[in-house]
Amino acid sequence: MTLHPLLEPGWVQAILPELILSAGGMLLILVDAFLPRIKGILAPLALLLFIAAAWAEALISRGGIYFGGTYEMSPITALFDLTFLLAGMLAVLFAREYLERENMEGGEFYALLLWGTVGMMMMAKGLDLLLIVLGLEILSICIFVLVGYNRRAPVSNEASLKYFLMGAFATGFILYGTALFYGATQSTNIGVMTRWFSGAQSTPLLTVAFVLLMSGFGFKLALAPFHPWAPDVYQGAPTPVAGWLSVAPKAATLIALVRLFNAMGPMLPKVSWMSMVAALSTLSMIVGNAVAIVQRDLKRMLAYSGIAHVGYMTIAMLTVRDDSVAAITVYTIVYALMNIGAFGVVSLLTKNENDPHTLDDIAGLGFRRKFYGFALAICMFSLSGLPPTAGFIAKFYIFKTAIESGHTTVALVGILTSITSVYYYLRVVYYLYMKEPAEGSTPAMFGGIFATGALTIAIIGILGIGIFPAQLFQAAGNAARILLRQ
Amino acid sequence: MPILSTILWLPLAAAVLLAFFPRTAESAIKGFGLLASAAAFVVSLGLLRGWDDAQAGFQFVEHKGWIPQWGISYGLGVDGISLWLVLLTTFLTPLIFLSAWNALHKHPKEYVISFLVMETAMIGAFLATDLVLFYVFFELMLLPMYLVIGVWGGANRIYAAIKFFLFTIAGSLLMLLGIIYLGFQNYHQSLTGTPTFNIVDLYHTQLTPQAQMLLFFAFSLAFAIKVPLFPLHTWLPDAHVEAPTGGSIILAGVMLKMGTYGFLRFVLPFFPESSSRWSTLMLTLSVIGIIYGALVAWVQPDMKKLVAYSSVSHLGFCVLGIFAMNETAISGSILQMVNHGLSTGALFLLVGVVYERRHTRLLADYGGIARTMPVYAVLFVIAVLSSVGLPGLNGFIGEFLILSGTFQASPVAATLAATGVILAAIYLLWLVQKVFFGPITNEENRNIPDIAWNEIAALVPIVVFMVWIGVHPNTFLRKMEPSVKHLVATVRGERNDKVMFANADATASANRNTTATAEVGR
Repeated sequence: MTLHPLLEPGWVQAILPELILSAGGMLLILVDAFLPRIKGILAPLALLLFIAAAWAEALISRGGIYFGGTYEMSPITALFDLTFLLAGMLAVLFAREYLERENMEGGEFYALLLWGTVGMMMMAKGLDLLLIVLGLEILSICIFVLVGYNRRAPVSNEASLKYFLMGAFATGFILYGTALFYGATQSTNIGVMTRWFSGAQSTPLLTVAFVLLMSGFGFKLALAPFHPWAPDVYQGAPTPVAGWLSVAPKAATLIALVRLFNAMGPMLPKVSWMSMVAALSTLSMIVGNAVAIVQRDLKRMLAYSGIAHVGYMTIAMLTVRDDSVAAITVYTIVYALMNIGAFGVVSLLTKNENDPHTLDDIAGLGFRRKFYGFALAICMFSLSGLPPTAGFIAKFYIFKTAIESGHTTVALVGILTSITSVYYYLRVVYYLYMKEPAEGSTPAMFGGIFATGALTIAIIGILGIGIFPAQLFQAAGNAARILLRQ
Repeated sequence: MPILSTILWLPLAAAVLLAFFPRTAESAIKGFGLLASAAAFVVSLGLLRGWDDAQAGFQFVEHKGWIPQWGISYGLGVDGISLWLVLLTTFLTPLIFLSAWNALHKHPKEYVISFLVMETAMIGAFLATDLVLFYVFFELMLLPMYLVIGVWGGANRIYAAIKFFLFTIAGSLLMLLGIIYLGFQNYHQSLTGTPTFNIVDLYHTQLTPQAQMLLFFAFSLAFAIKVPLFPLHTWLPDAHVEAPTGGSIILAGVMLKMGTYGFLRFVLPFFPESSSRWSTLMLTLSVIGIIYGALVAWVQPDMKKLVAYSSVSHLGFCVLGIFAMNETAISGSILQMVNHGLSTGALFLLVGVVYERRHTRLLADYGGIARTMPVYAVLFVIAVLSSVGLPGLNGFIGEFLILSGTFQASPVAATLAATGVILAAIYLLWLVQKVFFGPITNEENRNIPDIAWNEIAALVPIVVFMVWIGVHPNTFLRKMEPSVKHLVATVRGERNDKVMFANADATASANRNTTATAEVGR
């Protein structure tokens, strides 16, 4: 085994986005602490930092493996990092006016979003299970605080505590699984593990390790049956946080899992692990879509719909090949746009955060607040996978890879549950355009230029990717091929 | 800009522009919608001028890459099967705006935008020569129709809108799975190693009998729901009764034809063996639909519901003709699709006229209004006679061709279906009798104003075509003949190589043209 120098040349460029975000987060806190009079620049500053990180990601960072074979920069990590940055930006845009309205804006809120993004980037780029866990923990700590950020609202505290307790368990599972893998393979490095797996035989120890890891990651993904935290946490969390939480950590977990599954590749035909994953995926699609039907609270409905969507994405994980990785990549980007967009519109409802945000609150919105109504309708069409939105093209990609890999039954479950999902997504549209608001109540919405900007980005993204997907597919396909060639 | 793209995108472009109109400028909005859809109709007439009567394959072909990685392209083309359906779509849309001129009070802007988006979607579905592109348009038309029924519909509109949507989406999502599988199989077998979703290329896909059967049912289910074929028709009466007049006209006039068009364009040529094998099932369901639809129509107390069930019956004829699988029946079937669009479109429009004035559609509330509304009565009777199939009007030609063609394939089916013609005469003339003749029993009917200028203006063009098709059907049949011949040959496995080459040549020359245009553009 060759020894790598610990700091390869060019490492600063490689982790420049992470450096920008980490330092920027501290800057935000300092500004808030020492210059409280210019509080108004916090959100624009956070946005600027995200944009700077995206710029560094896209233009400065160079591909390669750094830090002794533990940290990889490649096109796929760049695509995922950009997804995290996009999610972060949308969250900041929606949070700005929301926090102002709830009178709780603070530098640490944005700082936590920035640092959480750093954690996700580590998960995406880590070539070592320990580094992935470390990234996951950085992310989780930020989430604990962000979910409980509305500290005057009991629901927010409850959600935070719930996520903390269950998240701690999940991390425990992941660490224990990692330890067992280390016991079997003598390394936590994915590269070393890949070599080891290529000649390995299945042992009960490995199966236990896999089950533990899947339970932990399944929790982070809100994959059924590890999902029950999701509706409660999303409902209690400040709505812009819920939108971000429903997308970004899942994307980070998915890319980490792709790496892991890819490393196990040669081993998988010998074991029935993937049928476990298939069962999780099927269960998620069924539970998510079935339970979403009876939800009247929008945030809970979106939580269950999110469970179903992770089920769809997991279909593509069943066989890791370049097309399926590309499908997951495309799906996460699209999902970020449509789900954060949907949560974003919900976050504009002026309501006591302790009360549920029900369908009745958006009755008649479509003709009263036209832009917000239209944006929510587009997000719903996209979530239900109707053309010409990006949701259709992303789902098409998932089902296409599933059929090409021979997972027709799971794809069929996906199709059948999609039909059910149309019902509850369209119900939102029904409330938007066909239902008159209850006597005496008008849908109250509060939003300014930031929220409008975020929704514009979401709409343009959803329709743009839906109508002209070729370039994104090209990029995702190439990135996936490079990832899997190693 | 090439002609097909112009026809396709003109309504959508108009819809986008309309979004910026101030909502108070109602006349401007309606006028602009009318103008744009009329412009699309005028442009679409250009198809007839450049039409090559001898060509069986797609004409005016356009081809651009869309998602090259998957072989999905932006491919447009029109042949004898789709030509009249495209023209029917562009013809009916302006008439809707015209007829709704004074009846539209609630959110006129969104109404006009919805119909323009729908027009683009429907034209796109008829023009697409790429299976995925077809699917995109096929689903796209659901959204505006859902809104049209749900926002502007009657009392029970929500139920009807959701039922309509869920029924259709359930079928089409299963078809999506079939589309992906078909494309994958084709890619698997292709010698060139490039994926494609081009319809003509997919015709050559080899399928195992079992796969072909499953795909046949996946596709057929989607289209049978859309037609709707008995016993999948239950969404239709609800949707029609609750939809506003314009929605009903488009739904019956064009959208149902997506189903029959889908059978012709995809099911027969993709799965010829399964189609022949299961043709008895399809013929049986069609015959049941024809008779059942007619009997149920007979007992309807509501005019709109009556016309809706008559659609079930008439569309049964179209499917019957398709699965008789010979030239006569298929030509008749295509012609009958147009006929049904005209006659049922006119009937829904006419029912809308009295509903607007009296706010009831019950037969029992009318009687003897021929005296108060003479012009209206004349137009109504013409539409009814066209629907019944009176010789000299369009319905006769279509039904005659279908029945005589079906008789060659299955005398029993043809004989049973013929009773549907008799039943149609009974329930439709019954309707005329109840509404127009006899004494005026309801005092409120004494002062109904007769049909207005805009409604007459919308109906007269329809009547003109009813007579034209009835008197000189050859104008229409001639243009579809080569394509129908080619289709029947494909289904029977007697591929005519000459036609195939002609097709290839046409595509190649179209590609050359595109390249040339691109170079000029540069």
